[in-house]
Amino acid sequence: MTMQDTATSTWTGKTVPRKEDDRLLKAQGEFGDDTPIAHLGHVVFVRSPYAHARILDIDVSAAESLPGYLGCLLPDEVDVLTDGFMELQPAPADAEVDKCLAAGGKVRFVGEPVVAVAGTSRQAARDVAATVVVDYEPLPHVVDARRAVEPEAPQVHDEIGSNVAWDGVYDWGDIDAALKSADHVIEVDELHFHRFSSTPLECSVVTVSYDAGIDTFNLIGGCAMPQITTLMMAAAMRHPAEKIRIVSKDFGGSFGVKIGMYVPATAVALLSRKLGRPMRWTETRTEHHWMGGHGNERWFHNVKMAVTSEGRVLGLSYDALDDVGAYTRYEPLGAVIWTQVANACYQLQHLKVHYRSIYTNKGPVHPNRGYSRLQHMWLVERMMDIAAHRLGFDPVQFRLQNYVQPEQYPYETVNGCVYDSGNLPLSLEKALDLIEYDDARRLQRESAGTGKRIGIGIGSTLDSGTNNFGQARLINQFLPFSGNTEGGLVRMGVDGSVYTVTGGVAFGQGHETTVAQVVADMLGLTPDEIITHRGSDSALSAQTGFSGSYASQFAVTGIGAILNATRKLVREIQLVAASILGATPEEIVLEGGHALVLGDPERALPFAAVAGIVHFSPADLPAEVADEVGLVGRAVYRAPFEIPDLERKRGNLTLTYASQIHACVLEIDEETGEVKILRYGMVDDCGTPINPMIIQGQVHGATVHGISAALFEHFAYDDDGQLLAANFYDYHAATALDLPSLRYDSVVSPSPFTPIGAKGMGEGGGAPLHAIAAAIQDAVGGDGGVVLESFNPPERILGLLNGGTESTVRVLR
Amino acid sequence: MTQPQDEMLPISVTVDGRLETGQVSSRTLLVHWLRDDLDKRGPKIGCDTGNCGACTIRWDGLLVKSCMVLAAQADDTRVETAASLAHDDGSLNDLQACFKEHHGLQCGYCTSGMLMTATDLLESGEEITEHSVRRGLKGNICRCTGYENIVRAVRAAAGHDVEKPHGAAEEVAS
Amino acid sequence: MILPPLRYLRPGSVGDAVHWLTHIDGAIVLAGGQTLVNALKLDLVAPTALVDIHRLDELRSIAVSPDRTLTIGAATTYAALAASTDVRLTAPSVASMAAGLVDRQVRNRGTIGGNVCLNDPTNNFPPLLVALGARFTVLGPEGTRTIDADDFFVGTMTTALGNGELLVSIEIPPLPRGARLVHRHLQVGADSWAMARAVVRIDDDNGVVVASRVVVGAVLGSPQRLRLVERALVGLPTGGDLDGAAAEAFDRESIETVGDVHCSADYRRQMSKVQLRRALRDLAKGTPS
Repeated sequence: MTMQDTATSTWTGKTVPRKEDDRLLKAQGEFGDDTPIAHLGHVVFVRSPYAHARILDIDVSAAESLPGYLGCLLPDEVDVLTDGFMELQPAPADAEVDKCLAAGGKVRFVGEPVVAVAGTSRQAARDVAATVVVDYEPLPHVVDARRAVEPEAPQVHDEIGSNVAWDGVYDWGDIDAALKSADHVIEVDELHFHRFSSTPLECSVVTVSYDAGIDTFNLIGGCAMPQITTLMMAAAMRHPAEKIRIVSKDFGGSFGVKIGMYVPATAVALLSRKLGRPMRWTETRTEHHWMGGHGNERWFHNVKMAVTSEGRVLGLSYDALDDVGAYTRYEPLGAVIWTQVANACYQLQHLKVHYRSIYTNKGPVHPNRGYSRLQHMWLVERMMDIAAHRLGFDPVQFRLQNYVQPEQYPYETVNGCVYDSGNLPLSLEKALDLIEYDDARRLQRESAGTGKRIGIGIGSTLDSGTNNFGQARLINQFLPFSGNTEGGLVRMGVDGSVYTVTGGVAFGQGHETTVAQVVADMLGLTPDEIITHRGSDSALSAQTGFSGSYASQFAVTGIGAILNATRKLVREIQLVAASILGATPEEIVLEGGHALVLGDPERALPFAAVAGIVHFSPADLPAEVADEVGLVGRAVYRAPFEIPDLERKRGNLTLTYASQIHACVLEIDEETGEVKILRYGMVDDCGTPINPMIIQGQVHGATVHGISAALFEHFAYDDDGQLLAANFYDYHAATALDLPSLRYDSVVSPSPFTPIGAKGMGEGGGAPLHAIAAAIQDAVGGDGGVVLESFNPPERILGLLNGGTESTVRVLR
Repeated sequence: MTQPQDEMLPISVTVDGRLETGQVSSRTLLVHWLRDDLDKRGPKIGCDTGNCGACTIRWDGLLVKSCMVLAAQADDTRVETAASLAHDDGSLNDLQACFKEHHGLQCGYCTSGMLMTATDLLESGEEITEHSVRRGLKGNICRCTGYENIVRAVRAAAGHDVEKPHGAAEEVAS
Repeated sequence: MILPPLRYLRPGSVGDAVHWLTHIDGAIVLAGGQTLVNALKLDLVAPTALVDIHRLDELRSIAVSPDRTLTIGAATTYAALAASTDVRLTAPSVASMAAGLVDRQVRNRGTIGGNVCLNDPTNNFPPLLVALGARFTVLGPEGTRTIDADDFFVGTMTTALGNGELLVSIEIPPLPRGARLVHRHLQVGADSWAMARAVVRIDDDNGVVVASRVVVGAVLGSPQRLRLVERALVGLPTGGDLDGAAAEAFDRESIETVGDVHCSADYRRQMSKVQLRRALRDLAKGTPS
């Protein structure tokens, strides 16, 4: 079988209804809290009401007399039973101690778990938790990263000596020279990218049954990165990773943030072992907003951009303070992940960034859809827009001129990343068509004097996919990671039915369907005939260390592994059929559930017969075939990467670059600052599609996450360090009524670097945050303020209409 | 004031056409009884403030969020969850089929609630427009689909001629 | 999501409800539960018992008297209000507000009595009922009394209801001929939490404003009548510069607002004024209430 077989396929590339849908539509799915378990205990965490406080005393004595009390887990026990979770940052911040309950005798953010209690029912566990008394001594706290870097700021982790988790400079090209010689230099003192999260609708649920007989922890619950999770738990609990099994079934969303589940899961595991019964923790929405993972909040300071008189952008420089909250967890990977898209969509030649990851007394950040790249791309796109407005360039032409051009691919960025393919000008043209650009400009002119202002904005982004984990070494040279792999397994059962398992863990992306499409094509079956494993199981041998669903990669890595695994199974079927039918393996083709001899369809063997022979009558086969064939294809896909050049901080950090160009037309009420989106268009290019319907669905979802984040969603903290948006009352996730109908189009630029030309996609790069900021700017016009925040609620927009940010934005030349 | 104690109350509720009886504590929410005692997986919990609508059911014919109702209040009433929607032979009903055709679900967690709300809207006799569907669904949060395909699916179920998913038209043509 | 321990009581009559509310320490009314149950989940309230009045038919009636006074039982749901021909004809502003409130699910369960007894500053019925001059009939251990809207709403999350008292019904007198009423609000998103609310009613007699009620919500002490604005409007020709007069008077009002995650206190105050002026412009344009 060759790649051409799938390229000219029956199913791959087609809009096929999803295999997942029937069970979900009939309320027959099995999400984390659905799984019935006998003798189940329930866990509730007692959490800190303070942003920063010393724990003076914990009193659980009142709980012991309550009906249904099973037991509890205290920080002192955790200190004995576990080591701190693995930290990725180098010294001195590697001194951070992160445990499943507040470590080091203090709490560091509101909502941090201090005690885990267990009861025989949800109600018993709740009542037990309510009786636990924790005596705190409040400590000075810091919730603003800008203040956290001041010398006298309160220390989130006393053992580190500062609030800096990571500090480094990236310097590619020669921005200082460019700023000196450029015709124009724009300078902005401060821009801010706010905190929000995709807030999956299903909060985390972890059920752990400790099996004492085989000393194994069995976990059930959505887990987006299972092998890394077992590794994190194994190291902390000093327990073999192979004795931690993670099973995910239906999974109500992750979008990256559930990567942090190893922390509460460790507490649940310890309780299950201690109390000798299965334990479940069902996270509440409030808990999820406190600790379930926020997206990175970032401050950009001293931003400078160099532009020629013809409107060519040479490059930029800035200082970043990335507010990671109280614990690094997956951080400080964000300090390097953004460099995957160092150039954003543009032909930049120079880029210099001083980047610092900063601890604050806020909830920890986790990777969130568009992780760390969308912050940088928002900055670049915002600066492109500010430059166009300030220097008098047409924002469309300015972008077109500076985009990486179609003929330049593969395009090497300032830091050695390789943009694989794309057609940004065509994508922009299509996006403008979607919003009827000329007509929108007419509407804009006609709106003058009506009390409403119309603005048009463009968001140009990339969705880099398939990480080279070698980039981790750029933040810590000692991290033993590089490249990327994913696993897959395809086997034929005793009756000839075909079963597939992928290492990825879907939470709505339709992996069962896309896997079935490609496997069906290779085996000559239909997707309906392929049995796809629901969710994931770390014990099924389909996974590699990097397995999971994150970083826009499944279409490359997950599908790549399944293709490789299926290829092995195809070869085995060919060997068996060839020996039975008296042909060579190369003459055997697979069609309609049969292995048949090419050009001689009378000589055919049904798959059931192939399976029957291998499983039940191997004596029918020549020994050399019987010895080789197990009707199991297990394979990995390895992304072709090298270790980056640590000295120069260069290298190819991701394999594919899907693009998203968005355009929107919005209307602003001059008296209130309210925004109404009138038209919204997205053009996606993720290479060769596997299932166009699923791609479109991902684009819709990412778009609405971005729109909602730009206008409604903000994990704001008050001066006391209290999260002001701990539920869906205060954290307004957009409803159907808040949104415009979405207009979609696509461009197909196959990737030259991937198995079938597909690119990872789904994160979307946060394009709506850019497009909306640009459209607000366009509506506000030259007389008003400059959009310097990614979050723009009505009040802020009203402020922009009244000017006010002028002094922080300067055109030096 | 002394710490109040729960009382156990007998209830009997017709759930998805079947009479179910049980003992519930006075503070048990209907959603928890349906899920934990009856293994009904339609109603889901996505928030703790009554906003997300994942727990939506019909209760004596009225659409409600079962996380804001006590199980004790449901005694001697009738409850329908999303598990009651499919045809008796297990095939999808029209609305479910439209959700499938129009890719109106991704992770599937909001889906049962969405289906219940959409069913109520479609049966209400209210005029179905894009706007009325969006308004009708505003008590149900979805974090995956961006609602676009849900709105299309509901309109399709109402007989509207809506845009097919990307790539679907092509398949029909071939 | 788990409620604290509590008793659940379902009275057979309004009298029983009052009895329990009076005699069980810490007992509170459970009406639609669309706010209360969430407050219980979040441990914001800690009652000992819930007295469920939702099924009491006595509290769910809607009646119109010969003088066109509308009487609404306190446990009437928003959906029932929106569907009632009587309400639509006699108090269209109440019907239309009920029809758009929150979402389909909540409208089937939430009650007007619960809305006003909670008196959350962002709730929409309190300012409207003040503008309509509603009266609240309350049954308590001492018997029945009737409270004017102006006196019923005492301050943020508080009403004039005393210990053991239960709101039974709300009476809405007919608007005098020539009266017009407009409700304006500024919300998060298309139709979510209120950042500012204004309800304006003017009673027009032969082209002159003879009385007015101007009420803002979403401020501290909501609903708050703006007496200075009301006075400034009275006596003006209805076709005159009501907007300008109101704006000038508004600046002299003492209005306290608070900031939250959605906006600052200043913005709330500023937007109250914008909504007030918009309401007046709507009135000038003859936009129906």
